[in-house]
Amino acid sequence: MIGSRLWLFQRISSLFLLVYIIYIALFFVNNNNISYFDWTLFFLSFETRVLTSIFFIIVLVHGFIGLWTVGTDYLTPRTLGLYSSFANIADSLRKIYQAFFVLLGLFCSISIIYLIWS
Amino acid sequence: MQKIEVNLYRYNPEKDRFPYMMSYSLDKPKKDIMVLDLLNMLKEEDESISYRRSCREGVCGSDGMNINGKNGLACITPLSSVIKKNKIELRPLPGLPVIRDLVVDMTEFYAQYEKIKPFLQNDTEAPLQERLQSPEDRNKLDGFYECILCACCSTSCPSFWWNPDKFVGPAALLQAYRFLADSRDLKTAERLDDLSDPFSVYRCHGIMNCVSVCPKGLNPNEAIGEIKDMLLKKKKNIIVSDG
Ligand code: SF4
Ligand code: SF4
Ligand code: FES
Repeated sequence: MIGSRLWLFQRISSLFLLVYIIYIALFFVNNNNISYFDWTLFFLSFETRVLTSIFFIIVLVHGFIGLWTVGTDYLTPRTLGLYSSFANIADSLRKIYQAFFVLLGLFCSISIIYLIWS
Repeated sequence: MQKIEVNLYRYNPEKDRFPYMMSYSLDKPKKDIMVLDLLNMLKEEDESISYRRSCREGVCGSDGMNINGKNGLACITPLSSVIKKNKIELRPLPGLPVIRDLVVDMTEFYAQYEKIKPFLQNDTEAPLQERLQSPEDRNKLDGFYECILCACCSTSCPSFWWNPDKFVGPAALLQAYRFLADSRDLKTAERLDDLSDPFSVYRCHGIMNCVSVCPKGLNPNEAIGEIKDMLLKKKKNIIVSDG
């Protein structure tokens, strides 16, 4: 089941990302000569804050699933077997790679949420 | 007389530390021949050359190989269709361990085939003569049952190269769909469950190499699309019945 869930999540999340991009684009289309004040007001509105928060969380999860796929394709004993000294440590390398992106993701989400809501 | 140059992948693990390419020069045949005929001519010159072949008419699937960079069956590939500047390069199917020259170890490929249970499963009592199927239901199998397991598709698929133990690969997925689509098979739900992890089917990224090489003109990618459809519909049903 998990395979179908991930697959579906990737498709639906990319649709949401598209909706958000359209939302931002509409702001530009509907306002000419945007001043710093308009821009701040727009990003301080409740809807934009909520949408931006969801946007970044989805970007991070979507990105992580993609990176996990890349990792399980290219960082395996088989793929790294070409450089035979890496083959034995391939699984550990992949775990480090994943842990790095999980930590980076957590750091990014905390800083972004803080930026948006402070 | 015009010459053609054949570059052949050679490897004999008993003698060679590494594989290497060996170049042969031959008189250009007067009429068009198949790549397998060319190999047979070479083998008369150098009988240490190893490759598999049996039916020599595209039925048994044993002489899949990489011909000038593209997988195909040597016995039904005319030399004229692949030769470039009187040169041709023959290598084993990519991604599988080489046993010797063009002979590869297909264990991983067959293991995936075994995994999808390539046989009809129906535990209702067998009728006196045969299990009948309507012509419409029978038509659903067209394009999915004709595979000869030559492995040209799976060994041209990057996803299969990277995870041959986890990704079922186009050849076996085509077979999986052949049984999923069969009205007489009653294990559809179990078959789908076995394929629903993130690797078995979902590692297909629609690269379409499989479609471009299949010597039988089959479309494994279409079968994969149908399986994904079935998996998602099944998921939807579960969500609906859950609440
Ligand atoms: S379409 Fe899928 S199965 Fe076919 S070659 Fe591409 S990734 Fe492999
Ligand atoms: S689908 Fe085509 S290329 Fe793949 S194993 Fe079957 S006959 Fe060969
Ligand atoms: S020898 Fe049988 S398919 Fe080519």
